[in-house]
Amino acid sequence: MAYMAMSLHAVNHRLTNIPVKQLPPLASSLAASLSNCGELLSTPQSQKSKSDSDNAVQVHKLMTRLASLLQDRSVEGRWTAVVLVKTLVEAGQWEVLRGSEPFVRGLIGILAKSDPVSTKKMSIITLTRIFHLTYQYPTLVREITTPSLPGFITSALNLISIKPSSEPVRKLKPNTPFLDIVLNAFGELIARHPTIFRPFTAQIHSVLQSIIGSTEPTYPEPILEIAQQLFISLHNCAPKNTSGEEWKNACRMTITSIHATSSYILRAVVEQWESVDPSLRQLSQPQNYSQEVGNGPDALGLSSWQGLPAGVNRLVVLLRMLSGFLDTATASTVTVPLGSILDLTARLNMVTYPSDGEIQANPQIGRAEREHLLTELPRIHAACLRLLVGIVKTFETAIIPVAQTILEQALWVFRAEKFSREVRTAVYDLVRTLLSHMGPCMTKQGVTSLTGVLRACCHDLLPPPSNQTAAAEKSDPKSKSKSSQATVNADSFLNPGLKPSRQLSSSPSFVELKRAASELLVAVLSHAPTELITPALRAEIDRTIIMTSDKNAMLASVLNPFATMQGRGVGISIMPFLARSHPAEMEVDALIRPRMPVLMNAPGVNGYTVADDEDEEETETVLEPQNSTETSGFLKPSVTPNLHQDMMDVEMTPQSSSPTMNKRSFAQETEVPTPALSTATGGAQSKKVRVEAEEPKAPAQPSLGAASPATFTGTAAISVPSSSITATAAPKPVVSMTGPSASMSTTTPQPRAVAEAAGDDESDDEMPTLNIDPDTDDEDEDE
Amino acid sequence: MLSECFIASTAASGKTPASASLRDVGICLHEFQPTLNLRSTFKKSSTAANCLAVSPSHVFAAQSEKAIVHVYSREKGNQEATVPFPERIRSIAVAGGKNGDVLVLGTEGGRLILWETCTGRQIATTASHLRPVTSLVVDPTSNFILSGSSDASIHVWSLVDLLSFTKPPSGRDRQPPNSPIRTFSNHRAAITSIAVGHSAGRYNIAVSIAEDSTAIAWDYRTGRLLRTFLLSANATCLTLDPVDRAFYVGYGDGSIQSVDFYKSQSIQHPLHDPSLHSTPVQPSADDRWAPPSPDSGAAHTLTLSYDGMTLLSGHQNGKVLSWNVGRKKYASTVADYTHPVTNLLMLPPNGLSHPSFDLTRMSHTIVKPRYDHTLSESSQPLGTVPADYTFSTHLLPTVSRPSSRPNQFTEAFTHAYFPESMLEEGLAELAAFDQGNTNTNVPSHAMSTGISDEEAFAKDAQIAQLENDLSLLKKKASINATARQTTTDEVTKLRADIANLHDYITELHGKQEQAQHEKILRQARKEERETRRREAWFAAEKKGKKGDAVLKKLDAEDTVMTSDTDDQSSDEQ
Repeated sequence: MAYMAMSLHAVNHRLTNIPVKQLPPLASSLAASLSNCGELLSTPQSQKSKSDSDNAVQVHKLMTRLASLLQDRSVEGRWTAVVLVKTLVEAGQWEVLRGSEPFVRGLIGILAKSDPVSTKKMSIITLTRIFHLTYQYPTLVREITTPSLPGFITSALNLISIKPSSEPVRKLKPNTPFLDIVLNAFGELIARHPTIFRPFTAQIHSVLQSIIGSTEPTYPEPILEIAQQLFISLHNCAPKNTSGEEWKNACRMTITSIHATSSYILRAVVEQWESVDPSLRQLSQPQNYSQEVGNGPDALGLSSWQGLPAGVNRLVVLLRMLSGFLDTATASTVTVPLGSILDLTARLNMVTYPSDGEIQANPQIGRAEREHLLTELPRIHAACLRLLVGIVKTFETAIIPVAQTILEQALWVFRAEKFSREVRTAVYDLVRTLLSHMGPCMTKQGVTSLTGVLRACCHDLLPPPSNQTAAAEKSDPKSKSKSSQATVNADSFLNPGLKPSRQLSSSPSFVELKRAASELLVAVLSHAPTELITPALRAEIDRTIIMTSDKNAMLASVLNPFATMQGRGVGISIMPFLARSHPAEMEVDALIRPRMPVLMNAPGVNGYTVADDEDEEETETVLEPQNSTETSGFLKPSVTPNLHQDMMDVEMTPQSSSPTMNKRSFAQETEVPTPALSTATGGAQSKKVRVEAEEPKAPAQPSLGAASPATFTGTAAISVPSSSITATAAPKPVVSMTGPSASMSTTTPQPRAVAEAAGDDESDDEMPTLNIDPDTDDEDEDE
Repeated sequence: MLSECFIASTAASGKTPASASLRDVGICLHEFQPTLNLRSTFKKSSTAANCLAVSPSHVFAAQSEKAIVHVYSREKGNQEATVPFPERIRSIAVAGGKNGDVLVLGTEGGRLILWETCTGRQIATTASHLRPVTSLVVDPTSNFILSGSSDASIHVWSLVDLLSFTKPPSGRDRQPPNSPIRTFSNHRAAITSIAVGHSAGRYNIAVSIAEDSTAIAWDYRTGRLLRTFLLSANATCLTLDPVDRAFYVGYGDGSIQSVDFYKSQSIQHPLHDPSLHSTPVQPSADDRWAPPSPDSGAAHTLTLSYDGMTLLSGHQNGKVLSWNVGRKKYASTVADYTHPVTNLLMLPPNGLSHPSFDLTRMSHTIVKPRYDHTLSESSQPLGTVPADYTFSTHLLPTVSRPSSRPNQFTEAFTHAYFPESMLEEGLAELAAFDQGNTNTNVPSHAMSTGISDEEAFAKDAQIAQLENDLSLLKKKASINATARQTTTDEVTKLRADIANLHDYITELHGKQEQAQHEKILRQARKEERETRRREAWFAAEKKGKKGDAVLKKLDAEDTVMTSDTDDQSSDEQ
């Protein structure tokens, strides 16, 4: 507190004494020190003590100074004030917010002045933040937000547009630097204050229309995205209880608009599609085929476009907007027209690039336009597929009824247009999301239909073919045609059936494609039934996984091993590769050295009731590093004490002479029939002997029971190698024993005991010369 | 705040509850932790076992001896709808992952009815069970439904196949559509309860109990039997440990038994050890936990807390008992609802912040089922989604929605003040503004009076370029300044070094001089001594004494006097 008071004082001093012109370079450091004073700024002023009142004076002084700086005549002063107001509001929360009315007025004033762009931008952000923070306090909303928000909306709109007449229509200013910020600010506020925004919806709507519909100078993607989001959010402002209806209308209009646009764009081909919606079947209006393709204002009120490129752009924008409808929060329950959306995607996905050059061409359209359309098709389809990904992500398991339909559409497109990287990426993403919802139930046919996708996916992931040498000879005549490629494609050695995908080529730079491909492999292995994947394909997948050393894919492959047929070889696993390439990863360790705490397997019920001091000490014996992962959870304070108490019971499995525990039971004086370590096998045997050599040492120390905790930690340390070895040799669950009376107190001694063991090493005479580090020091001692 | 609740439903009985708050109540939402208290109640419901299902937004209760399902809204706390069905409903379950969008109903006639609560679509399966479907579970992937019937068989259904508009090509093994994909028929008597493991992977298990006093653990993905447990009596209810390490059964006498999978010391996973598949196991009677009093009546339902360490059981006498799993015994009586408690469902705890618990959408109201005409009629082309297939839901704002890329606004919005980059940009602009205030006034004015876009654009570009240049120059200047600073520093340091060296030299000179001086002194002393000796010698010779003896004496005196014996003196001796 003292530090805060001091730094507050220092900030005040600098703000008042340094000339305003020189303030901006200091603003950053002033803001940093202010934001550290959060605790002081947010202290309620009612608690009046001597020092507090002094602080209150300082806070008040600061706020007054900032308010006056906001009105300062120099741009530097205003700039600094904006930065510091934001800091103050963030740090002070309610205490500052309730007095933020002059700030808000000053900030809105700045928007109308001829300040530099950055001052205005920061003012908008600060204002949005103030409105955002006041939202949780209804009184502050009434006092601050409600009166000043309309002013803010008007001035923000004035920054980006001009209102030519009294009509509620605005014209967008060209090249305004504020577009991004203003739209973001509106997007942030509109859902919270729909009633205040309601009078402005028409104006905002007209601005957004011109952004989304603009074809000549197209706006950059981030701006387009936020504009679409805001467009969708406008339904929040609908009069009460009609917001759902408004949303549905907007969504329907978007779909209609896409249909209308595609009717023009796709006019060069004869469509096979027939809508499931009877109202759409007689949609096709007569077109003037002699004119250049183009469309007038459409259902959404977007401006007209001319020429195929502009049309395709419009279509892609609209498709993105449609998927925006599915991932923007709605005001209330809405009715998503899933059937219509799928009908739409079916229409667009049905027109595909002809695989063998034949397409039902519309004879009235020239060849140039048709070819142009065919080259643009992948772009349209990628947008369509992304829309479908959006649907699946939004509806999750509720997608199951239509999942098969979506998958089929994706496969149509993939078969025809797998040469396009964009399409492949989108298909991989779509198949991956679908698999996680419908994978386990897939049939043989379903999995077989994915073969092509999976092969291409492997191909995309594999390193460039120049690395492959074995394939060089096996090249078939077809690859001769591609003489530009010096070496032979890897596919020829992967599988001769892969000719169509020959034309694919990838280079290491396509990060998005690689990500999608490797995620798809993981999804296939973990969700689809592995027994339905053909051995050849599985071998290819595994090879790809090994080549890429992708940890998740390797884990998925190991966890879902290839199902062996009856009498056909043994189970194959790529586990060695996993262990080699990721030896230090936690998941890998959990997989190959499992240590699941099996809890309820102590037969003696009475073992639990013996709760005396000896047991307590034994608990320390078994507090070995292995358990630390489990126990660490209990070190954290739990919110519900009751819950915590119960959780402790998890660890409190009664001790017993159960043979499962014999690896560590030498520490318990009574129950030490030194085990015949029969489970140890193979390579572990030699190590095991070493550990066994250790064991007699511990019982040779008769005072174990009474010895210092440090001794116990030492003993426990020995048991680590032995138990971990048994775990490898036999993945048997390791029993975690913790004394019955082990409550919160038992967990705390653990670190201390270890520390003692470390510290007392030389001084403690009666301690056996055991070291904490299990691995290396054991060897030293043996020699 | 973290809290854990359970939902209990009761079957109507002749008794009247003691407390007025429980009158007429059929379903209770009870807070279990941190404090035990009744949160809310839903009235007018009487459910048999396995007839209660809960989704995040609704509670579904199939009424016993009736063909209706009561739907209660959890948000509003009231009864939202009463949905009639063509047959009596004997069991229900919710499918559809965390959102619970599909309600699965098992009917008296042995068929399943699937109702998509967000779309109103309803699908009925073939009546593959010969007797009523008494227990239903949906697996964690929401892909399989397991239905147990009193005809002693358990059917596994593919939820995807049942719901899908497009039937997968060529169907499954020439089966009629909407039929089970697998049947498990190792039980010899009516199935009482089924529990399914918590894994989403391929090696998930199911445990089922039947009236033949057995519990069987099996693999529902393959239909393979994993282990048979011979219980000491007919178990009535069943629940599985959250880690699938054990299961718990309740008996007609109110006692509970825990059956641990990890009893044996096998190197393989005990359930997947093929050598044990055919050997039935008899769990020891020690694992049977006695009820506190014999009058508690049969245990109808079991549920486990989130941490898996507290077991709740609902009994015939209306009591909900809690059992400590670690201590393996009865712990306390949690609630008393007077009527027989037939269903207990532990709800996931509130207040655990985990992205997978967050709902992205919420259905505030259900859409009542309408018959799916696409299946019966052939007016639609097969396999297409009808245009009027709509899904009503409320899309919720989510924090974790992957916003495409960090944009300037969101970054600044949540920053403690403003990001450094933005402040720097502002500073640069201020500097430019300051300079340009005098001379850029004219072009900015010109711009507003209407110049073409290209020009404005060019201007913008030019300004940006100028700004770039400016920042470059600034950087250069600062580099220069630093360089100059370093040079000066170096020079100062060198000067200081020189001064030091000078000092050192002077010091050395002084030392040299001193040494010289000392040498001279020594010389003088020596000469003086020589003279003295000579004089002494002469004097002694004069006196007639032995001059040498005197010399020796003098020498001895000299060595005492002058510690420094130099070469010259030794030479002379």
